[in-house]
Formats: sequence, structure tokens, C-alpha cells
Amino acid sequence: MQRNSAAEAATPKIQLLGASRDFEARGRRVQALQPIDLSVKKAEFVALVGPSGCGKSTILNMVAGLLGPTQGRVAYDGQPIAGLNRKVGYMTQKDTLLPWRDVASNIGVALELKCRPMPRADAATKVAQMIELVGLKGFEHHYPSELSGGMRKRVALARTLIYEPETLLMDEPFAALDAQLRLVMLDQLQFLTRLRKMTVLFVTHDLGEAITLADRVVVMSARPGRIRAIRNVPIQRPLDVFKARFSPEFASLHEALWDELKDEVTKGTDL
Amino acid sequence: MSDLALTARIGFAERARAVFDSTPGRILARIGILAALLAAWQYLPGPGMRFWASDPQSIVMALLGWIIDGTLWHQLFATLTVMSTSYALGCAIGVGLGLVFGLLPRLDKVMSPFIFAAYSLPKIALAPLLIILFGIGVLSKVVLVTLVVFFLVFSSTIDGVHNIDPDLPRALRLMGATRAEIIRKVLIPAALPWIFTSMRIAVRYAFSNTLLAELIASNSGIGYLIAYHSGIYDAAGTYAAVLILVILSVALTEVLTRIEKGMSRWRA
Ligand SMILES: Nc1ncnc2c1ncn2[C@@H]1O[C@H](COP(=O)(O)OP(=O)(O)O)[C@@H](O)[C@H]1O
Ligand SMILES: [Mg+2]
Repeated sequence: MQRNSAAEAATPKIQLLGASRDFEARGRRVQALQPIDLSVKKAEFVALVGPSGCGKSTILNMVAGLLGPTQGRVAYDGQPIAGLNRKVGYMTQKDTLLPWRDVASNIGVALELKCRPMPRADAATKVAQMIELVGLKGFEHHYPSELSGGMRKRVALARTLIYEPETLLMDEPFAALDAQLRLVMLDQLQFLTRLRKMTVLFVTHDLGEAITLADRVVVMSARPGRIRAIRNVPIQRPLDVFKARFSPEFASLHEALWDELKDEVTKGTDL
Repeated sequence: MSDLALTARIGFAERARAVFDSTPGRILARIGILAALLAAWQYLPGPGMRFWASDPQSIVMALLGWIIDGTLWHQLFATLTVMSTSYALGCAIGVGLGLVFGLLPRLDKVMSPFIFAAYSLPKIALAPLLIILFGIGVLSKVVLVTLVVFFLVFSSTIDGVHNIDPDLPRALRLMGATRAEIIRKVLIPAALPWIFTSMRIAVRYAFSNTLLAELIASNSGIGYLIAYHSGIYDAAGTYAAVLILVILSVALTEVLTRIEKGMSRWRA
């Protein structure tokens, strides 16, 4: 028993071993991702940053089981991922809200499924809590087509968080939000993921966001993507997201990461 | 498909509004024109033309006769029964099989040339064949009209399922939805606008094909009434039956326009 749990603790939640990915585009084979190695421990928060087109979404897709690696292995709980990985909640870059459902019923959809039996009243309470959490009170009965991009993102976030998956994959979840609202969302996300001990793989193009949330930040290089640097974030947690960015540790880490990233960004812009 | 449906709907709605929301002046003008035409029809033709032109009085008498002896209700009932039975059958089978084909892309790919051929064929051309198979009577008409409605709804349902953004079912699958849950919560709601559009168009197809089937070879219905009376060179009876058809079409269009108005309000 004890050996089992020790082994469990040692096994990374997510593991990429020499995993690469090619795409066939107009008859030409293009390598989107060079073989990369990356492990994410249970309850760890890892941020991926890098120029657009470097394969960040591709990595999340592989962990979700939507894509297989061309070479190498992608494992979850030590097992190679076969088919869709239902242990993860995936907030994709493009929101996939159901257009015929209003905000409340989009957020509650995961609680209607047989795999999560729950009395209707409890589900309604949870939905109301999530709506409050993402600041969409008053919009319960709006349809996705009636919402701004930022509001849709918040609905997608609430829809993913509501069923508390053990692992969260998030692809630029706050890109469409204004600065103040983004800080509020970062705060909520930090609170929830720590409370539930979730493992998180978080893609962003905002270094501040990465440092604020992550235990480790992975900097990727321009296409074909590979890992250029991995930095631990040596800041005491939980931190105050509203003030953290004014601390000296924050500033020096920001500078160090920016040094790694800046040549890649100029190299890697998708033109 | 949906553009076509939209223009068709606007066309019908406007026509219906023009008929039913009019100023008193316009109504008077119409009554005047109608009275003049009827008077001309009644008194102008010479005795030689009477035989095929008939006259309004004889037509009204024929109509009254059918109302009194029950022919009218009997034939009207026959037409509406064939039409509504076939419509219901065609829609049910069309939606059901359409979902099956939409969900089994391999089956759909294998079968699509056959389906396309059957879809393209004007189904009325099958009427003689169906009469050989099922005889002159209700069954051959129901089979024909059901086929017409079926192919319309079937192909539209398949299109609806194929047009779903594949990311939507995928998102639900990641949440742990079963296949049945994905069908119920994503595929059917996403295909519903396509299904409704085809069902709306299918009403008119069901109506016209029921009449065509009755005209070609049959022993009941308004179409049969027209064919029978023209067959025995009874001009008054033929005109009377056509008049019934005109009233029936206008009534059907009016009912549909109202239902569609209600539906679009509900959808918006
Ligand atoms: N389905 C696909 N087919 C062809 N090329 C793809 C596909 N998905 C991604 N790519 C290519 O792979 C590269 C990495 O894409 P992606 O992982 O989306 O980058 P990022 O999320 O870092 O911006 C890009 O150059 C993109 O064009
Ligand atoms: Mg991306």
C-alpha cells in the first residue's frame, strides 16, 4: 500500500518523452514540434510560453488525446494516452460553447452527464456559484452569440472548472479579457486550482500571467517548436496576484524569461 | 438550402399578407373585377362554347351538390389523409435514417451515389411503377408521397449532422459524455434547424405530389375529382374541383404562414 502511493507520487501526472509532431499541409510534411521531454507532477502548475505557431496548442492536444505524437510517447499517470483523455478538462483556444444553450446551461452541461450523477438542485446551485465566480451574473439567459469574446471565454472557463477535473489544460484562456478582469480571473484560478490540488498545463503569451500562476515556466522556441528553457518560480504561494507584479523577484524573473523569449518572438512571428 | 427556404418563406408570407391585410378600397376593387369576370363568363360564351367553358352557375350547382351529398368532405378527407400520413411517415423515417447515416460516415460514403441518384429523380416518375406494385388506391399514393418527403428530410438531416463543428462533440466527449449523450445534446440540436427547414418545405411537396398522384391514377381525393370529371367531359365538375383545390391551397398556405411566424418568433 505504502509502496503504491510512493510510486504514485513519483510518477509524473503528465509526461512527454521525445514526443514530436508533424503535420501534412498541402502535400508537404512540416514538423510542428521537435522531440521534446516534459514532465508535470501531480498538483503542479506549469505554464507554456512561446511565439505563436511553436506548437503550444499541439502539446495540449496531445495530452488531451486529440492528437497522437508522430514519434515518442505521451503518458498520463504513467500510461500512454490511448483515445481521448477523459481525466483532463480542456479549455481550448477557440471556445466550443453550444450556440443553442444559454450561459447557465452551457456552464452546467458537464453536470448533466451520466458519469457525474447529481441532483438537479445541486447542479443549479453549482452553476449559480460558477456564474458568480466568473462575473457573469445577470447574463445567465444570454446566448453565446449575444456575448463578447471575453464573456465567452469566461463561460468556457466556468464550464471547465465546474466539474473539477483533476487536470486542467488551458490554452490562452484570458487572452480576450481586459487587464483588471484578467487579474480577478487569475486570482480565482489560483484559488481553485490550489484548493482542488489540480494539475495544470497553461498556455499563455503573457509572461506576467505565467509567473503569477505557475510553479514552473517553460519557454519554447520558434517553429519547429522545442523547449528553450525551463524556470522555477521562486515566489512564496499563494501570492497576491494584484501586488505580486511589483515585487523584485517577479521583476527579475520576468526579465530573465524575456531574455529567453525575445529572439524567439522576432524569429517566430507567423507571417 | 436555407437561403432558398428563406426566400420561399418571405414570398409566401408577403403573398398571404397581400391577400388578407387589405384596405377597403382594394377589397372593393377585387370584388368588382371578380364580379365582372364571373358575369362575362356567365353571359358571353355562345352555346357552342358552353360545353367546355361551362358557366359559374353550373359550377356553383355542382359544388353545392357535392356539399349536400357529402362527396366534397369524403374527397377532401381522402386527400388530407394521404398527405398527412405520408408527411408524418416521411419526416419520421427521414429524420431517423438521416441521423443514422449522419452518424455513420462509412455507411454514408458507401451509399451516397445511390442516395444521390434517388434524391435527384423526380419521384412522380415512379407513380406508374408504384401502381403496378401497390395497385390503384391509397397505398401507392402514400408510398409515393412518403418517398418525396423522406428524401427531402433525409438528405437535409445528413447535411445538418455533417455541418456540425467537430470541436463541439469532441468537447463533450472530453467531459465524459457517452455516445448517446453526444447524439442527444450536440448532434440533434445542431441538426435541428436543418431538419425544420426541410420539414417546412416538405409540406408543399407533400401537397403537390398527393394531388399529382391522385391525378395520374387513383380512386379518391380532390385530384381524382378533377381527373374523373374531366375524363367524362363534365366541365362544370372539373372547374368545381379545381375551385376546391384553390381554396385548399390558400388555406394551407395561410395555416403554414401562421405556424412559421410563431416558430420564428420562438426561435429568435
Ligand atoms: N491540424 C493541423 N494541420 C496542419 N498544420 C497544423 C495543424 N495544427 C497545427 N498545425 C501547425 O503546427 C504549428 C503549431 O501549431 P500550434 O500548436 O497551434 O501553435 P501555437 O499554439 O503555439 O500557436 C503551426 O505552424 C500550425 O500551422
Ligand atoms: Mg495555439
